[in-house]
Order: sequence, then C-alpha cells, then structure tokens
Amino acid sequence: MDALCRICCIPAELLAKVPGLGPLIRMCCTSVGQKVLMALTGLALCGFLVTHLSGNLLLFAGEEAFNTYAEKLHSMGALLKAAEVGLLATFLAHLGLAVSTTAMSRRARSKQYAQKESKQGAFALPSGGASNWMLLTGLGIGAFLVLHLVDLKFKLRPDLDYATQDGAYATVNMVLPSPVSFVAYSVALILLGIHLSHGVRSALQSLGVSHSKWNKLIEIGSMLFAWAIALGFICVLGWVVLNS
Amino acid sequence: MSSDLINLTLRVWRQNDPDSQGQFESYQLNGVSTHMSFLEMLDVLNEQLIESGQESVAFDHDCREGICGTCSLMINGQAHGPDKATTTCQLHMRRFNDGDTVTIEPWRATGFPVVKDLVVDRGAFDRIISAGGYVSVNTGNAPDGNAIPIAGTTQEVAMDAAACIGCGACVAACKNASAMLFVSAKVSQLAILPQGQQERSERVVSMVSQMDDEGFGSCTNTSECEAACPAEISVSNIARLNREYLRASLCGRD
Repeated sequence: MDALCRICCIPAELLAKVPGLGPLIRMCCTSVGQKVLMALTGLALCGFLVTHLSGNLLLFAGEEAFNTYAEKLHSMGALLKAAEVGLLATFLAHLGLAVSTTAMSRRARSKQYAQKESKQGAFALPSGGASNWMLLTGLGIGAFLVLHLVDLKFKLRPDLDYATQDGAYATVNMVLPSPVSFVAYSVALILLGIHLSHGVRSALQSLGVSHSKWNKLIEIGSMLFAWAIALGFICVLGWVVLNS
Repeated sequence: MSSDLINLTLRVWRQNDPDSQGQFESYQLNGVSTHMSFLEMLDVLNEQLIESGQESVAFDHDCREGICGTCSLMINGQAHGPDKATTTCQLHMRRFNDGDTVTIEPWRATGFPVVKDLVVDRGAFDRIISAGGYVSVNTGNAPDGNAIPIAGTTQEVAMDAAACIGCGACVAACKNASAMLFVSAKVSQLAILPQGQQERSERVVSMVSQMDDEGFGSCTNTSECEAACPAEISVSNIARLNREYLRASLCGRD
C-alpha cells in the first residue's frame, strides 16, 4: 500500500516543480486538500455520468436516433479525444487520491481494536453503510470500466463478432445481452449506486457545503441523484437485454 | 438491595510501556454496585488487584464530572461506553447486566501512543492547539465585557464548537483515526468570533498541517465522530474547517 502510495505521489512531486504551481500542489497534498480534490474529481465524474446516461437513454428512441447521436459524437474528432484524455486523467486522479488517503488512514491506526461498535443506529444514516465500502465499490467500478472499454470502445472481445454488426445500436444490442457483460454490468451498476449514495453527499461536505437549513435536502437529493443514475443505466441495460 | 450488585468479567488491555506488546487480561469482579460510575468500578478493581499483590490498572481520570476530557476508554468497542453524549466518568454500572463481560481498551491511533495499560499520550492534541488554536490579545487590564458586540446566535454557534473537551473520542471512534472533528471544533470556535479574525487564515493552515504531521487519518465523512462525541460537536464544523482551509489557502494573507 505504501509503495503504491509513493507512486501516486509522483505526479504531485513533478507538478510541484513547475514554477508557480508549488503553493497549489502543497495545498492539495494536505489531508484536507486531498479530500477537496477527491470531491472535485468525483463530482466531475458525476457530470460525465449524466452526459453518458443522457446519450444512452437515446437507445429508447430507436436505432436511427442512437446511431445519429453516436456518429455525431465520433465526428467531433480532436475535441472528443481531448475530452477522453481529460476523463481518464480525472479518473486516475480520483483513484490515486483514494489510494493515498486510504494509506494515510491505515497508517493512522496500526493496531486495530479487539472489539469495535458503531454509535450510529444501523439505519440512522443511509449512507453510513456505503461509506465503509467506498474503496471496494470504487475498485469494482474501475475493474468494470476495463471490461466496458474492451467491450464497447475498443471492441476487442474475442468471443464476439463485431464485424457483422453495423452501427453503434447493433453493437450495443450484441454486447449487452452476452452473459459476461450482463452480469458484470448489473453488478457494477449496483456498486455505482452504493458508491454515489455516499460519494455525492461526502463530496459536498468535503467542499464545505453544509447548512442546517439545507442538509436534509442535500442528503435526500444526493441519494436520489445516486440511485437515479444507477437505475437509469440499469433500465437501459434491462431494456436492451429484454429486446434482444 | 442485592439486585443492585452485579458480577462482571473484565477483559482489560495491559501494556507495560509504549514499546511492549501488550495483551488482554481477564479479571472477575464480584459485587459491583450498579450505582457506581465506571471509573469507580475500576477503582474497586485496582483495590482488589493491589490487595492480591498485583499491579493496578493505569487509566486516565481527573474531574469525574464530564468536563475535563481526561477519561477515555473504549468500552465494549464504543468510545466512552454505550451512551451518547456521555464521558466514561458519567457512565454508570447500571448500564451493565449481571454476568456481562466488559472489554476495556485504550484509544487506538498512531497519534495517541499507549503510555501504559489504558493511558494514551494525547499530546498531539496539545501540539495542534499550539500550532494555531489561540488568539493574540494585549495584556493588561481585562477588557470590558461586551466591548465587542457579538450577535447571540453567533455566540451560540461558537460556544457549541467550544464545548469540545479534547478527549479524543472522535479519533478513537473514527475508522480512519481522523482528528478532523477535534481540529474543526478548535478552528470554528475562533473563526466565527471577531477576536479570532487576526490569525484566522494562518490558524487553519497551521493546525491542519500539524494534524497531518501527527499522523492522524483522513476524513471520509462517516459521522461516527459526531455520534461518539461526549460534547455533541457537530460534523458541520468539519464542513466549516474545509471552507476555512479553502478560503485561507486561496485568498488568505501570507
């Protein structure tokens, strides 16, 4: 874990050497700074999820609408490439910060308790359970993303015949119903819902968004957002599989 | 009144010094009055140990009325025992049943090394306070009360943060051993008030830096600290600390 953490720190150490960036990097390297970055990258990824889901919902509109959307997206060329690189960097930063903050917390308690109980009721805080699973759900989503990219971005699954499929709609309708994808996608989407149900609320708290008047709304809104995203993707998956 | 007496098995962490391994020892304690406080029960245990020629259990205690923050103890896996908004000295034996086994551990955190048995060194908290948890004032005559007008609601928020007794239950209960609730309370109580404005930016940056140097963990917003806090410090202070840190880092004076 510590070795992994040192690797994660390399980009920060290099960036700190760039003239003018030193103070910013030093600020971002403290425990509070890392959580702020974690929140910003997390919310940026949520923004991507909204865009991605909006695009996917076009599957309901039929083959023509979805293919037109896909072609338009891919015709953006360099702009799309830049967005993809930015997305990858955001994702890697989020992952690196997760490793770094987890390592910090592991070091903070080298000897565990023989017995440890919570003072929060089992269901007092809906995200209480999820908060204990952020790293594992995050890693699960990360592993799924590798499959997702192999499946639909690079089209490299050896057991599927991509050549016979014409257009994005047909490819999606071939890939999603395959047993491996269906199971992996279903599990990953539930993990995504759990991850976001704590992540969104936690990100806002890390950015200092908290007010007794609004906290309940923020809590409920974050939960609704998390499961709306997850269920939105699950609906797309279910619809495609049922129609195949 | 025999029903007011209970028999307990105590599993107590014993550790000779910071460098030794330490292990649990079991002690049978009979006839414990349910009217006793938890610390009085430990006093009785120690008398029993001394009478039988064994070394007494070292544990921290001072005021025994819930205001000094000296007592600690992880009791059956909960900081300060099972009750909310209660310190160990305010916990009574009536919360336990006849025949119970009670596990007693020290706070466990790298920032709080064990000194002996159940006593941990909470000097890290003092060093965090020294780093910035103060205000600079002119010495001399005491200033007039209410010389600086402060709205009642502001006073209340500052007072809620100032209620922190620095016991370390937040660190003990947090799965990351994070000291964010403590630091946020100490930053908030001064950041809200006019007297704290002079060092406002410098304070939060120095205290966060010291907190990291002491080896405390990172906050994952689980709110376990708030639930464990005997002074009921709210996690809204942690959000304020994050705001203060961002404000100080981005636009605070050098």
